[in-house]
Amino acid sequence: MAVWLIALLVALVATVQLRSQAEVERTLATADPATLAFSIDQLHRANDALEAQIGVLTQRKAALQSGGGPAADQALQDEAEQLRIIEGLVAVHGPGVVVVIDATGLSALDLEDALNNLAAGGGEALAVNDQRYVVSVPVTQTAGGVTVGGTLVPAPWTIVAIGDTTRLGETADLMTQQLRGDRRVRQASYRVEADIVIRSVVSEKPFVYAEP
Amino acid sequence: MGRNQIVSTALVALVALAVGFLLAGQVKAQLQGSPSNQVERNQALIRSVQDLERDNGADRAKIAALRADIDALEAQAASQSQSTKALQNQVADLRAHAGLTAMHGPGVEVDLTSGPPGTDAGGQDRNLVTFEDVQDIVNLLFAMGAEGVAVSGRRITPLSAYSGSEGEVIIDQGPPLFSPIRIVAVGDRNLMEAALNDPTSLPSLRVRQVQFELTLVVTGAPNESLPAYDAGLEAPHVSSVQ
Repeated sequence: MAVWLIALLVALVATVQLRSQAEVERTLATADPATLAFSIDQLHRANDALEAQIGVLTQRKAALQSGGGPAADQALQDEAEQLRIIEGLVAVHGPGVVVVIDATGLSALDLEDALNNLAAGGGEALAVNDQRYVVSVPVTQTAGGVTVGGTLVPAPWTIVAIGDTTRLGETADLMTQQLRGDRRVRQASYRVEADIVIRSVVSEKPFVYAEP
Repeated sequence: MGRNQIVSTALVALVALAVGFLLAGQVKAQLQGSPSNQVERNQALIRSVQDLERDNGADRAKIAALRADIDALEAQAASQSQSTKALQNQVADLRAHAGLTAMHGPGVEVDLTSGPPGTDAGGQDRNLVTFEDVQDIVNLLFAMGAEGVAVSGRRITPLSAYSGSEGEVIIDQGPPLFSPIRIVAVGDRNLMEAALNDPTSLPSLRVRQVQFELTLVVTGAPNESLPAYDAGLEAPHVSSVQ
């Protein structure tokens, strides 16, 4: 009896171990080398950014530990300013790229793709035809055309992105090359600028449903 | 029970244990594939991805811990000063809108699953969930008034961006996500459910649902929970206009 129990236990442990191992590797095992290489590149970049964030937060914590009340006020003011920039609540400026797309028949999905490409390529503040864009701002297809945050943005689209100009330049170059291959596109170009100003802002919306 | 019987029972148990481990090792080796060079190269790449994912997870845990420490230190300072308290409240509100704090409330869950392998006879992998699918759903949810969204446990921020290739979804600095993907949103549940169930929304997904058997399941719930964002959120090249 004891032997059968042990045998059953061994089989159970082996099955659980195998299943969990197989589960972990299931998705990666089916990926091709190109996908895996892409993942490695992305993860290297992501981990570098995470390390940089750890550095910033470690410094902030050290300042708070040594500085007391005044240091807390300074840290909170700095963070508030940074978050207002990130949430699109204040006018901003900085180096970046200006992408101009003149086309007929491009949809809201095309504009969302362009904005996502620039965000993934290092865009830290974005605007289309002087309308500020952050992820929560709706880009919608209407009968009259594409709207950003409820405002119509007729062609040509002038998309500005502030951020690392090296990364943004590479992204904009690739993006405009691809766009020029699209029959709907009459013109797609970009330029790098040392200082771009975005004056438009996003309206702050209080939460109605969410609770902390 | 005689001494001989005890010994034989122990012996049989030991043999069963050894057989179990041998069997496990053999099946595991089978799962890892045949020992061709290509498979070995793929295995090496997979190991690199897994190592980097482990580092990624550890870094994100460290960021979450540091943010909690900073919160505690700021709360301590705020308890001694009214002006610091007022500042802390402002920052708490800004953090909540940026996705830096956990939230809960009514909302929806969207389960997105790739179609079975081989359903795209054209070999273009159109049966797979892509980052564009996830992007389209998240954008639709925000357009319908979502107050917070998370994708397979990764919170979306105002600067979130999506990328990936062939069935792989990468959001910001997180590890690659694969089907099934679960998108959770907090906000006006009825509005979000109606938009997701509208047959004219998400056109690319609707077509591939029919052609390649991708599945999109929408479920409303009275209380969804979203985790806090746990990666880097900085805009070092941007300054406010004074």
